[in-house]
Amino acid sequence: MSNLSRTFPWFVLAVATAYLILAMSPVEENSGQFHLQEFSTIPVVDGGRVKPIDTLARTSLMIISNRQTFGSEWDPQAGGVKGEATQPAIKWLLDVMVDNGAFKQHAAEKYQVFRIENDQLLKLLGLEARPSFWRYSIEEFGKKIPELIDRAERAQQVPAQERDVFDVKAIELAQHLQLYMALANLKTPYAIPPASQGQEWQPFIEAFMDAHRNGLDNPNARSYGKLLLAYTQGKTEDFNQELASYRQRLAEQMPEQTQKARLEVFFNHFAPFYQCSILYVLVFFLATVGWVVFTQPLNRAAFWLTVLTLVVHTWALGTRMYLQGRPPVTNLYSAAVWIAWGCVLLGIFLEMIYKNGVGNVTAAVTGSLSMFLAHHLAGSGDTMEMMQAVLDTNFWLATHVTVVTFGYVATVVAGVIGALYVVCGVLTPRLTKELGQSFAQMIYGVLCFATLLSFTGTVLGGIWADQSWGRFWGWDPKENGALLIVIWNALILHARWSGMIKQRGMAVLSIFGIMLTGWSGIGTNQLGVGLHAYGFSNTLAMILVGCWAVCLPLMLLGLLPMRWWWSFAAQKAKMALPSKVHERSDVPVGATSN
Amino acid sequence: MNKTAVRITGNQTPVKTAHPVAKPSRATRGPFQRALWVLASLRLTVVLFALALVLVFCGTLAQVEMGIWTAVNQYFRSAYVWIPLQLFVHFGQVFFGVSKDAHLPGSFLFPGGWLIGGLLLANLLAAHAVRFHLSWKRSGILVLHAGLVLLMLSELVTGLFAIEGNMTIVQNGSSNYIEESRAEELAIIDSSDPNTDSVAVIPDRLLKKPGIIRNEALPMDVEVIRYLRNSELLEKMPSGSQNPATAGLGRSVFAVERSEVTGTDPEQKVDTPSAYLNFKKKGTGESLGVYLVSLLLNPQPLTFDGKNYEVSLRFKRTYKPYTIHLIKFSHDVYVGTDKPKNFSSLVRLDDPTRNEHRENLIYMNEPLRYRGETFYQSSFLPGDKGTVLQVVRNPGWLMPYIACTLVSLGMIFHFGLHLIGFLRRRAAL
Repeated sequence: MSNLSRTFPWFVLAVATAYLILAMSPVEENSGQFHLQEFSTIPVVDGGRVKPIDTLARTSLMIISNRQTFGSEWDPQAGGVKGEATQPAIKWLLDVMVDNGAFKQHAAEKYQVFRIENDQLLKLLGLEARPSFWRYSIEEFGKKIPELIDRAERAQQVPAQERDVFDVKAIELAQHLQLYMALANLKTPYAIPPASQGQEWQPFIEAFMDAHRNGLDNPNARSYGKLLLAYTQGKTEDFNQELASYRQRLAEQMPEQTQKARLEVFFNHFAPFYQCSILYVLVFFLATVGWVVFTQPLNRAAFWLTVLTLVVHTWALGTRMYLQGRPPVTNLYSAAVWIAWGCVLLGIFLEMIYKNGVGNVTAAVTGSLSMFLAHHLAGSGDTMEMMQAVLDTNFWLATHVTVVTFGYVATVVAGVIGALYVVCGVLTPRLTKELGQSFAQMIYGVLCFATLLSFTGTVLGGIWADQSWGRFWGWDPKENGALLIVIWNALILHARWSGMIKQRGMAVLSIFGIMLTGWSGIGTNQLGVGLHAYGFSNTLAMILVGCWAVCLPLMLLGLLPMRWWWSFAAQKAKMALPSKVHERSDVPVGATSN
Repeated sequence: MNKTAVRITGNQTPVKTAHPVAKPSRATRGPFQRALWVLASLRLTVVLFALALVLVFCGTLAQVEMGIWTAVNQYFRSAYVWIPLQLFVHFGQVFFGVSKDAHLPGSFLFPGGWLIGGLLLANLLAAHAVRFHLSWKRSGILVLHAGLVLLMLSELVTGLFAIEGNMTIVQNGSSNYIEESRAEELAIIDSSDPNTDSVAVIPDRLLKKPGIIRNEALPMDVEVIRYLRNSELLEKMPSGSQNPATAGLGRSVFAVERSEVTGTDPEQKVDTPSAYLNFKKKGTGESLGVYLVSLLLNPQPLTFDGKNYEVSLRFKRTYKPYTIHLIKFSHDVYVGTDKPKNFSSLVRLDDPTRNEHRENLIYMNEPLRYRGETFYQSSFLPGDKGTVLQVVRNPGWLMPYIACTLVSLGMIFHFGLHLIGFLRRRAAL
């Protein structure tokens, strides 16, 4: 092993670790400032779940503004964005919470956070387009709110299936305003913990009025009110002192929940899944470059970086499970994160066995793509939302979801290896006989795994359904989607055993498995809504079509006659070379192959 | 690698032949044996898988337009199906922005679920018949295929014999009948006896055809004027149409046809049929009035020859020898939301025929099983006024459990054996 291949992986790991530590390190707050970070760890109830107020701030701002920070503004003179969005969501939330009749602060109305892109809606509100920024403050369109409400109410009358984009966007903006109002009027969240046993959490305003009416003292409501008052008056010392004592009291009253809330704030700040997706992209970069130059050092670096990232990924999954008290897969977002984890794990295994870089690339491609998909799916709010009773935790459901998604994982991984086989064989001269064999073995092994897991997972779903409503199998679109994957995997295996397909056939067919997985995971849900949805603006459907648009050409590429595959042509030329050279030394090498 | 099991062709990987048993040569085979070998072919398996794939895909797309059970009966529980080309237009509309008005006439014939399933079963059994030999290596395959056979049979049993229905009970009320949510009946209730009602019912299969229904058990003849599979009631008649009803509630409300609730409808409602029926005096043909009966309407009085009857279209009822009494229905939500956290029904079961009296709490994933029927917490009446239990009778309910255990174990064993062998070979390199 060369010196470089020994030291380079360590270097990459060191850089990545430094990056992660930087991302983890908390923001410094000195005594002269409001301790916003500490405030953000206060537990509240929203959407039926105890969470730190930080999560509420981030998800609310995300819903309204499509980002978790704010602070940049539109500069009409320059026609561009001025300043950077570096202010934390918690500051925005605090300013919103005092934008009411009681505290009479209106700073939050000046923040340009409401994202409005639809031109008809902008016209209705009398706003100019702000390309690439698209954010406006309440102050700017406040006078037109009655018109907006009127438009949204009319849109509500239209059956959901017949609404056009304008209708949908008007309703959306009205809902964003409603969310803002609920926060400003202190009706959301349920901020005050139960004053005594048997009581429920209450919104601040309710707890405050209750205490006032009944002449009782609710120390938590009092503290919360004092905090807001101190914030309004700019009294940092009062705020910080009250905050410290309030947190102290909460920690005694509900030690587990305050601890979880602190952990969740750290989780939000660190954003481990986001960091993982960046690192997976880096792995991809290292691994693909490694196929061309510096193969050994880059492959080793890519492998160890994948391992490091998977450790972070695993920690993040575990933390989510702990915070939520649920199995890893509870919604589409968490399914994508879980799938990414499974793909990477499988990639690492393959790399450990074959050590030829294929596992690295597979892990990087599937890991980063599903993480980005997850990032996209998270847009709609709290990703740890509570679940409908029927979907609530149950042994069969939990095992069904985790196993069947792993079945999807294996199917996708087999497909990606198949795609690599095709790309490597057709577009490069590198697919040697040995490499082709390893590819085929990998695809075969992963497919066996995929068949087992997709079958067992699908069946566990049937058992759950039988336990829940007495119908093992109902032929509904979702079940059929899962069945398609099982049949497809079984088809490839049987076709191989019968000798109908060999290396290449297996590679090409396995790519189709990715298309089917997309259909099963995303496509079947689109059927109900998609047919009636306005035009072609459904992002998930577009992601799926994009996936098909990549896979189908790859399959066609794989079906090209063997003589057009660069690798096979190159091998043939190499084999043919000695004799041809002997006969006619003037013929160029490339021309000898037909 | 074992050399005898390896076949090398060109620059391909060695492919293991799956079935090392030698085929008898053509000359020594009789016609029956030859047919068996064709039926046992792995290529046939692959072809059948491909057909199954297309069928399942089309059966899913079909649910964009039709109800899930219509699709199941047409595609999966049938020998053949005519698949309309319009399905692929729908597919294009959802994913590729094909115009909403696009229409493609025509359809093609395709094998249905019973046929493909049956052939797969035959293929599997034939394969094991001609290549049968017991060895450790093949035991996994044997077990998993046995499980698959059982799984296919369980779907057959379910398709033929399973019955699903609902039992709706109001708070503090009782019920002794099950309503099938996918079948209706017309009930003619003679309530002249103060102690018991005598009820005559006409199943929906007869109501779906226009014409006169005569039967000795019926106190009158019934002429079906119109049957609407799924309907909505309007207070105002659409302009240009005439109200067929001459008596009862039908004079003030009007039923219009709605398309069937589709399998992909995100809201998953049930169909609510209605019918316009002309009741006639037996034999004479004298009309007693044209009534609108509907699942959306209460029973309506109909008096003739001094006797009081009630007529109503309702879900098909099956009466049970036992009664279920709802003691309390509870419905919890998450704090500050209307998201349901838990539903449960505390019930008392009274079966005088077996002297069985017990209390049971039915909640999510904790059904009550009694005399072949299983009661699941399914839904509730608006304002928590009562509970809706899903009731299922499926004699084959245990089969999938056994089947899946067999298949999973078989696969784990078979693939595990391969994996261990593979890792050993690599380690030896």
